[in-house]
Amino acid sequence: MSENYATVNPCSMCMPMGSVMVFKGIEGCMPIFHGSQGCSTYMRLHLAHHFREPVDIASSALSEKGAVYGGAANLKKGLLNVIQGYGPRAVGVATTCLAETIGDDVAQIVREFQQEEPRAREVAIIPTSTPSYSGSHEEGYNEALKAVVRTLAKRGRPNSRFNLVIGSIISPAEVRHLKSMLDDWGCGYDRIIFPDISETFDAPLAADYPKIPEGGTPLADIEDMANSRETLTVGGSIFGGSAGDYLEREFGVHHTILPLPIGVEQTDRLIGKLEEITGLGLPEKYERDRGRLMDAIVDCHKLVAGVRTAVYGDAEMALGVAKLLCEMGMDPRVIATGSKSPEFVRRGEKMAPGSEVLSGVDFSEIGEAVARNDIELLIGPFTGRQISKAENIPLLRVGLPNHDRFGSSRQMVLGYEGTTRLVDEIANVIVEMNERGG
Amino acid sequence: MGIIKTFDERADHIKQKSGNDPVPLACNNESLAGAVSQRACVYSGARVVLNPLTDALHLVHGPIGCASYTWDIRGSSTSGPTLYKKSFSTDMKVTDVIFGGEKKLAGAIRELAARYRPPAFFVYSTCIVGVIGDDLKAVCKSASEDLGIPVIPVMSEGFRGNKNEGYKAACNALFELLGTGDYVPTSPFTVNLLGEYNVAGDLWNVLPLFEEMNVEVVASFTGDSRVEEIQRAHKAKLNLVQCSGSMTYLAKKMEEKYGIPYRRVSFFGSGDISSALRTTAEFFGDSEMMARAEEIIARETARIAPDIERHKSRVAGKKAAIYMGGAAKAVSLVRAFGEIGMDVVIIGTQTGSRDDYKNISYIVKEGTVIIDDANPLELKELLVKQGADLLVAGVKERFLAYKLGVAFCDFNHDRTATFEGFDGIVNFAREVDITINSPVWDLPVERVPGVRMRTEVETEIGTEIGTEMGCEHSSVIDAGGESVV
Repeated sequence: MSENYATVNPCSMCMPMGSVMVFKGIEGCMPIFHGSQGCSTYMRLHLAHHFREPVDIASSALSEKGAVYGGAANLKKGLLNVIQGYGPRAVGVATTCLAETIGDDVAQIVREFQQEEPRAREVAIIPTSTPSYSGSHEEGYNEALKAVVRTLAKRGRPNSRFNLVIGSIISPAEVRHLKSMLDDWGCGYDRIIFPDISETFDAPLAADYPKIPEGGTPLADIEDMANSRETLTVGGSIFGGSAGDYLEREFGVHHTILPLPIGVEQTDRLIGKLEEITGLGLPEKYERDRGRLMDAIVDCHKLVAGVRTAVYGDAEMALGVAKLLCEMGMDPRVIATGSKSPEFVRRGEKMAPGSEVLSGVDFSEIGEAVARNDIELLIGPFTGRQISKAENIPLLRVGLPNHDRFGSSRQMVLGYEGTTRLVDEIANVIVEMNERGG
Repeated sequence: MGIIKTFDERADHIKQKSGNDPVPLACNNESLAGAVSQRACVYSGARVVLNPLTDALHLVHGPIGCASYTWDIRGSSTSGPTLYKKSFSTDMKVTDVIFGGEKKLAGAIRELAARYRPPAFFVYSTCIVGVIGDDLKAVCKSASEDLGIPVIPVMSEGFRGNKNEGYKAACNALFELLGTGDYVPTSPFTVNLLGEYNVAGDLWNVLPLFEEMNVEVVASFTGDSRVEEIQRAHKAKLNLVQCSGSMTYLAKKMEEKYGIPYRRVSFFGSGDISSALRTTAEFFGDSEMMARAEEIIARETARIAPDIERHKSRVAGKKAAIYMGGAAKAVSLVRAFGEIGMDVVIIGTQTGSRDDYKNISYIVKEGTVIIDDANPLELKELLVKQGADLLVAGVKERFLAYKLGVAFCDFNHDRTATFEGFDGIVNFAREVDITINSPVWDLPVERVPGVRMRTEVETEIGTEIGTEMGCEHSSVIDAGGESVV
């Protein structure tokens, strides 16, 4: 077995990264990291590479002085400048390892700031604790989901709406797909989707470029999440269930958690649940999409049969893709994620008995599993490219990060339609593989 | 009233060149909290300088993020070893923060040494290492004794300053390696190239030129270099410093200890690469070499002239904005734009010094805006206000430019074409040309209602659609059509 102490080629990112994916899904929201300048610059760079969009994240720019005497003054200054510079409706404050280690109480600093600063009273400020050493970006995402509803959701008059919480990181196109499906369903005004990165990380080119990209879940909607009749979290079966749990605990809003709708069965589960919530049958158009997905799977079933595949990446995404591979008759022999999660291992082993299911691993360990299992195809983020190159195995890029191919914002592997696209892509990669192999 | 609206504290960091006096610019201080500086941290500065050393093992002592975001982002090419393209981290967890990470670090070094057998380690400290007080130096020293190879601590806690401090930390680390190897050069004329990172393979455009002059490059700092080459670099007679921001500190240290003089040069732009060759020949005072240099310059300049002229004719008179990490590249760019007939209207850097900005203010034209440690809001306003046609910068700025409809040229880690040497300037001119003159900028950003394209091919289709839809708004169509064509 490999390292006990060292991580070689990480398969995860740090907690503050996850928080950005939530904050950028809120209308008029600017994120700020409480930490040293580098954290915000690095994560801006990482996300700009992936989405090919400008990504602004502020920093409290802690220096030596701040690290010694506490960073309250820097954070307050940073908040004020963000408010003056960007005119945001909300500011998401995420801590970093530095701020947490020096022991700054961010919630307290924010409270003080809002008392001291009249200009800040109209702005929702969301403190989030995301020390990088406490978990991965997925856990940071989950933490931020909770922080947002904890800060913003307010009891009011019961509404007749339902909350759809996106419990793990998916693409802007995928959020758009879920939205338009609900619109087609006739419940466009009946749902609150949170967070909503559909426009903020995939902004159309326009004559005017605003300081904060348009789109995101309106603050009023998030506030109203406390009064909805139900919360449905998709992609929250490993991490990501915390916001719905909080709303259930505090406001009695019933919470259901489903995996990401990838593949036939998992999409059926989401549709079934939505039928139950809305009391309406699935629109015919989507029934036909489902039929097309079935058709696509049948078309390629002999080609893809038994192809030994390694699926890795974010927990929900990896499990969803693995599930689809099982449905297609492929062999997801290695299923891996960088975050530590016994639940991931349990679910993966149940789904694909006999497969190697690994959590909390790096690409060195994934590479060894790939070699051990004579893998023919890799599916996951671009970070697996060194294995792909070294072992000469094709890599189908799915998920974040993807720095070396275009269209990450528009990748769509969810729902019947998205799954169909993925099925076709997988089939085509295998065709090319066979052609090359002679 | 400043040039643009910005934070009060930032006003002194943005000035417009006016008259012959140098522009006094505030610089090299802490970035303003909340202003979205484009700068990174101390660790980042150290990492970008050291990472191109291809056969060293670069181990980050800290939480996983610092390693994740810097994994193989440098864009520097290798002619051999690929160890530097891997990302190594101690992935510190809560327990390490509470009980200290020294044991984990020592274990990681041991493990990785056994597995990869590198000739040397660089061990980077990150923010929290400085706070929890892990004794990085002691762990490295003891590991080095056990393993019998250099295990060099890089003191790069993120918050202890800006990128400049990181450059210094990296130079100190390199200095520790230096002088530990022995070497007998094959040529009497030997140089090191300092601040040459072999991005996209730049170095390989430059090396043949030196070779032709019978100058041996002992070590390149640090593009495509090996630990062994750095160890024997003290055997060179001259240091040519390209990226002065990152490497002047090391050049001075080498001069002090080994008596190696240094010269500032740049390999970017026909003028600058020519000067670099002349400077080298003059230093050695060898008449044959001087003649050879002139021969190369004449031959290469003539060879690329047709290409340069072709691109120049298409971009001359356009306005460029420059935003770089360091000042040396920015200055070189001003001259290169001069070679292709373009004017510089904005020039800025993340880490320029007072002298750098003084120098810049002498070489730019009246009205050029000079900016230190810019942020996206300022860049956006300046690009619009100064009417820039092109921005030269890095990835973070690329998409801002695109959103504003401004052409873009990547000068940092992400470019895939070489820009140095004589072939490099042609690549650069071509890139500037294809982005500025791309037809995408002529497409209407927003559709004019009722418009149909009046190109020859589409006239027929347009008519059909018009007929089909019973379109009667011919005046609107014509008016809109004008604006499109």
